[in-house]
Amino acid sequence: MIYLDHAAATPLAESARRAMTPYLAEKFFNPSAAYLPAAELRREYEAAKERIAHVIGAKGADLVITSGATESINLAFSLVSSSAETLISAVEHPAVRANAQRGAKCQIVQVDANGRIDLADFQAKLNKNTQFVSVCLASSELGTVQPISDIARLIHAERQRRALAGEATPLYFHCDASQGLGLMEVKVARLGVDLLTINAAKIYGPKGVGALYVAHRVPLRPQVLGGGQEMGLRSGTENVPAVMAFAAAIEEAAKHVSSEQRRLRQLKQQLHQDLADLPNVRFLGHPKTQLPNYLVLSLPGFDAERLIFALEAQEVYLATGSACSANKGIKSPALEAIGLNDAEIAGSLRITLGKLNDSSNLAEAAKLIHAAVRAEQQRMQGQG
Amino acid sequence: MKVFLGMSGGVDSAVSAHLLKEQGHEVVGVYMKNWSKDLPGMKCPWAEDLADAKRTAVRLGIDFRVFDFESDYKQKVVDYMLAEYQKGNTPNPDIMCNQEIKFKLFADTAFEQGAELIATGHYAKSKGRQLLCAKDTNKDQSYFLYRITADVIERTLFPVGDMLKSEVKALAENIGLTVAHKPESMGVCFVGEANMKDFLAEFVETRPGKIIELETNTELGIHDGAIFYTLGQRHGLGLTQGLPYYVVKKDMAKNLVYVSRNLNAGELWANRATLRDIVFRESASGPLQARIRHRAPLVPAHFDAETQTVYFDDAQKSLTPGQSVVLYRGPLCLGGGIIESTDKVC
Repeated sequence: MIYLDHAAATPLAESARRAMTPYLAEKFFNPSAAYLPAAELRREYEAAKERIAHVIGAKGADLVITSGATESINLAFSLVSSSAETLISAVEHPAVRANAQRGAKCQIVQVDANGRIDLADFQAKLNKNTQFVSVCLASSELGTVQPISDIARLIHAERQRRALAGEATPLYFHCDASQGLGLMEVKVARLGVDLLTINAAKIYGPKGVGALYVAHRVPLRPQVLGGGQEMGLRSGTENVPAVMAFAAAIEEAAKHVSSEQRRLRQLKQQLHQDLADLPNVRFLGHPKTQLPNYLVLSLPGFDAERLIFALEAQEVYLATGSACSANKGIKSPALEAIGLNDAEIAGSLRITLGKLNDSSNLAEAAKLIHAAVRAEQQRMQGQG
Repeated sequence: MKVFLGMSGGVDSAVSAHLLKEQGHEVVGVYMKNWSKDLPGMKCPWAEDLADAKRTAVRLGIDFRVFDFESDYKQKVVDYMLAEYQKGNTPNPDIMCNQEIKFKLFADTAFEQGAELIATGHYAKSKGRQLLCAKDTNKDQSYFLYRITADVIERTLFPVGDMLKSEVKALAENIGLTVAHKPESMGVCFVGEANMKDFLAEFVETRPGKIIELETNTELGIHDGAIFYTLGQRHGLGLTQGLPYYVVKKDMAKNLVYVSRNLNAGELWANRATLRDIVFRESASGPLQARIRHRAPLVPAHFDAETQTVYFDDAQKSLTPGQSVVLYRGPLCLGGGIIESTDKVC
C-alpha cells in the first residue's frame, strides 16, 4: 500500500496506542465516581487535558473535549444567534459552511488563485453587524495556510472601534485548525483567536476525539446536555482512553514538527518533480503558503475519479478535489473559489503526505500515477 | 458493436460488462441516476452504487457515463406509483421503471449517443424480437420486462441470461470483480431498504380507519390508512392475538380494511383477472401459462382478447389490482397487462 491521503485520516501512533491501552480495561472507572481510584483517574484525565492545552499555548481549563472537529465547530457556532451575521472564507469545511447558516446572514470572503483569503475583501465585509468570524488555519482541499493573525488584528481593530462607538454587538473569531496542527506551530495567543478547533484523528491520534479551545468570557451554549462534564459545556462521561492518546499524539507531533516539516517538504519537492511532466498538469496552491505535505494538481481533460479507481487497484490511495461519487457529486466550493473551470476541477487530485511516506514509496507512486494517466490517455484516444 | 450497458453497481451488470468486452464489443458503461428521496435516517445507497459501477468500469478499462434521469424517473415512476397507491392499487414500480426509463429513455439516449445495441444485467433472454425466460428459472426477471417493445428487444442484449446466478458470482470472483460479494439490493430502488409504508407516509395524506373482520363484520382495531395495505398481507395490522389475520378486501371510499383468519376466504381467491394497459408482442391464443408476481410459478391459463380477461385453470390467491399478469407460451414471454379487477366464478 502507498498511502497518499494523510489529510483524510492518519494511522494511530505507537505512542498514542500505548498511552490509551491501560485506560481501556484496567483503569476503566468513571472519573466522576467518588472512590479513590476514580478520583486518581480524574487527575490523570485533567493532566492529559493540561498537556494538550500546553501544546497550543493554553490551559487545560480552556479546553472542552469533544467527539472531534465537527462537534467542536458546532459548539463554537453556538454563539451565533438566529439574528447574527457571520463571516467565513470561501474554502471552509462543510461543518463550518453548514453552521454559518445558523445566523440571519452569512457572508463569504473571497480567496486568491492560491486559495489564500483576500484581506481587502475581508475588511470590506467585516461590518458593525458581524458577530462571528470563522476561518480555517489551512484549507483541507488546497492546504493553503491562512493569515490568521492578520485577520485577528483586523477583528481587534473592529472591536476597539465598537467599544469607542459604544456599540454592544459582540464579535468572536473561530479558527478550524483540523488541517495544519502537527505540521506547523499553533499557539492561540499568537493566532489571536477566541476559539480554536483541534482534532486528534489527523495527527496520528484516535478518531472520535477533539477539542475546542475557548478563551475566557466567551459565553458558549452547551449543545450536549446532561451530567455537566467539561465545565457544563459538554456532558457525557469523559472518553479517558482517547484523551490520553490525544495528549500523547499531540505532544509527539509538536516535538517533531520542524524536522517533519523539513522531511515532508523534501518529499513533496521530489514528487512534484516526478509529476511535473504529466500532460498539461497544473499544480495548485503556492509553495510558500501551502502546508508542507500537500501536493494538489489538476489534469484537465482527465476524470480524477477514474484515476483514483485505477490507482486503487495498485493499492495507491489518494483523494480527488473534485466532485466524486463518494461525496454525492457535490462540487468542491474551494476549487471553484480559486477560479478553476469544470475540466480543471474534474481532473484534480489531492496528495497529502505523512508518516507512511518515504522517498522510495513516493518514487514508486510517481511511476504508478504516470502509468495510470498513460492508460487513461490511450483509452480516450482509442475511442477517437 | 458499440454497446451501451446499464450498470447498477451490482454483480450482474458488472459480469455483463466483462462478458460483452470478451465478446469483442466496444462497451460503454452507463449509470442511470434515478430519483431518490433523501430523508434523514433513510439510507439511500446510490452514491455507493455509482462508485461501484464506475470502479468496475475503470478496472475493465471501459468508458463510463452517468445519465441523469432524476426528473423523468420522479414523474414517470414515482408519481405513477403514488397515484396508483392512492387509488387503492398495489403498483409495481420496477415494471414501470423498465418500460419508461431503462428500455425507453436509456435506450433512446444510448442510440442517440451512437450505441448500436443496449444491454442490461437482467436475467432474461432476447432472441430477435422475442423475449424469453432466463436459464436460471429461480432468478428469471422476464416478469419485470414484459412491457418492453419488440423494437427495443431486437436491439437489447442480456449477457447473463444464459447463466445461473451461482455461475455469475463465481465468474465475478474469478476475474476479481470488487462487487463479487456485494449483497443484492432489496426492495424498491428509490425507497432503498426503508419500509414502503414509511416512504408513502411522506407523500400521501392518510387517515386512520377501521379494521373489520370479514365473517363477523366486527371492528377489530384501527389501521393507519387503507392505502398502506395490500391483499394477502399478514403483517403490520397490529392484530397480535391468536392466529394471524390476512387482508382480504379494501374499501377505499370508506377507508375500511377487511381481514380474515381464513386463508380460504372467498375474497382472497380468484380465477379471473380483467386486465388494462395490455401489451402483447405475440398472439396470446390457446393454452398458455401465467405468472401473477415475480418468482411465482407459471400456472395454466388462457386469455380472451375481447374481454381482456385471463382465465386461470385453478383459483389464485391474492390477485392484486395494480400488479401485473404476464403470459408465457413455454419459455416465450408474450406480454401481459395490469390487473383491473378480479372475479371468482365457479
